[in-house]
Amino acid sequence: MKTPQKSGALQRGFQIGKLGFGLVGSYLGYQAQNLLLSESGKAQRRAKFQQKASQRVSGELGALKGAIMKVGQLLSMQSRVFPEETLREFAALQMQAPGMHPTMARAQFKASMGKFPEDVFRQFDPEPFAAASLGQVHRAMTRKGEKVAVKIQYPAIRSAIENDFKVVRSATFAGQLTGYLPTAAIDEVQRGIMEETDYVNEAKNLTYFREKFADIEWVTVPRVYEEFSSDRTLTMSFIEGRTLSRFLEAKPSQQLRDLMGARLVQLFEIQCHLKALHADPHPGNYLFQPDGSIGIIDFGCVKRFALDWSELRRFYDEWGWRESEAAARRFLKIVCGPKAPYEKARKILPDLEEWLELWRSDGSGDFFFGQKMEPARKKKLEAAKARAAQKIFRNKLIEPEFIFLSRADQGICFLLEQLGAVVNLSEIARRVEAGPQTSKAIESGA
Amino acid sequence: MKPGRRVQKKEKTKQAILKAALDLFATKGFYATTTKAISKKAHIAEGTLFNYFETKEDLALYFFEEELSGVMEWYRANRRLKKADIAERLFAIIQHSLERLEPYEEFIGAVYSRALSPTSKLGPFNLESQDRHLRYLRFIREILLEAEADEEIPPVGDFGAYAFGLFQLAILTHWLRDQSRGKEQTLALLDRCLKLATHFLRNNGGWNW
Repeated sequence: MKTPQKSGALQRGFQIGKLGFGLVGSYLGYQAQNLLLSESGKAQRRAKFQQKASQRVSGELGALKGAIMKVGQLLSMQSRVFPEETLREFAALQMQAPGMHPTMARAQFKASMGKFPEDVFRQFDPEPFAAASLGQVHRAMTRKGEKVAVKIQYPAIRSAIENDFKVVRSATFAGQLTGYLPTAAIDEVQRGIMEETDYVNEAKNLTYFREKFADIEWVTVPRVYEEFSSDRTLTMSFIEGRTLSRFLEAKPSQQLRDLMGARLVQLFEIQCHLKALHADPHPGNYLFQPDGSIGIIDFGCVKRFALDWSELRRFYDEWGWRESEAAARRFLKIVCGPKAPYEKARKILPDLEEWLELWRSDGSGDFFFGQKMEPARKKKLEAAKARAAQKIFRNKLIEPEFIFLSRADQGICFLLEQLGAVVNLSEIARRVEAGPQTSKAIESGA
Repeated sequence: MKPGRRVQKKEKTKQAILKAALDLFATKGFYATTTKAISKKAHIAEGTLFNYFETKEDLALYFFEEELSGVMEWYRANRRLKKADIAERLFAIIQHSLERLEPYEEFIGAVYSRALSPTSKLGPFNLESQDRHLRYLRFIREILLEAEADEEIPPVGDFGAYAFGLFQLAILTHWLRDQSRGKEQTLALLDRCLKLATHFLRNNGGWNW
């Protein structure tokens, strides 16, 4: 019986239409369409799904989960609507746009820059070499012979996203009314996405971090070519290096892995002190070189925050909450937010202490990452962490900035794990706190 | 089959008139431009002008034909496109024609509303116009035939070429009204329509969930 299936399919097609997903009016709608129209069956679709996500270069199926992920990731920073599990899944995903064929990429370059790539560059590779947030990246060479990466955004995608948010708003009206999904949270997510898709903003972030990291010789942040950039096109100096997986394929020595790991942590610590964090810890955003230098790319999502990182560090190192009730209150305000009731928040302390105790290596009192740990101890450690997290979420003791920083921290840990690096976290934290590089960077106006 | 000198000269005069007309349309507008002004600018007698073009509409028709010839020549010279898939090839044809029309947007806008009147020679449903456009439709038909031979799409027959012609007109309509910067909305619409259309063709019009 083929007929009922077909009519059902047709109906679903109409439903997509009814949701207001026009042909160009909706980003999510377009992605849904691609997903539903995909050439093969469901199982095959799923296989493709995973393959493409790992491939990185634009898959139209990946784009759907990419967009959902972005909403989820931003929501996770701002509110308490998603369970931890879901968020972890979100964090592994990437934001992708439908691929543009060479003719389209060229036309869109013109639409955003007023000139065709061949009128601006000496060379321009019509095929992209990487996917980017809502676009793709092409290799090119300037008239002066400089190698550059040109990021081009898919046409009209920002207005499509704006339309999607109108749908989201009307669909979640009940949630907004009951306060379960605060309107302010949706505003914040929308603002975040619009900011991230504005390449002018990304150019500002690049310039900011390039300046802040200028004294560190082993890190490279691309230079922006403003004359070849707009809100939908971003031309940057080309950064050499390998992605993490390619870097690991070359079987780097343990020493090199440790060095890379330590450097990643150092960069993270510096950013925490700057109160501005490259908020997308996806491994694809880092490029590694055999000499140990690191390139950071994709600065679309930079989060600025107010939390005092040094103070938090000191609390962790000295168990400062034990000193007095006032100190404990202060610490819990940082972790759980200023409005959290002290009596409730206090209950997370024992689990936190157990977790810290288990993690601290024997002897030096420093925190190490990547050291061998007996399975029993590791299990206990995970359990203590899970208990603390559960208490935080169940009692809604969530301070968005703390959650955000913890997630970014986890992102770095995930990178270290993949890298297989052993890193003395406390030592690096101390060095950055005292180091001239940081203090210089911070003094010059963070 | 070399065209005779007379034909060549005639073609040259036609192009000179068109160039003069386009310049005037761009500066004064389509309606305000008189045939007198055109002939003056093209350095010919007004009577001679009528030998070539009866009305300004005929001029516009000639303009479109010239542009379509230009698009066909461009396509045939573009080697990379031959290897691209059918959606990109068709995208490139429409996008390139829009690219060529860009300097004359105002003029086309003016002609466009006239073209939709049933008596207009420019109208897509006008037999005369279709006859004149046959060369272009055959060109599209050839491209579709290639795609059919490569089993990119199922056989679509002459209907495919006609449908494409109408689709191109619809895109032109969108393009003329497109207020987005760099008319990027049109690019997105074009891309999505062609992807959807090739998908439907491949699946015999079904959704294939």
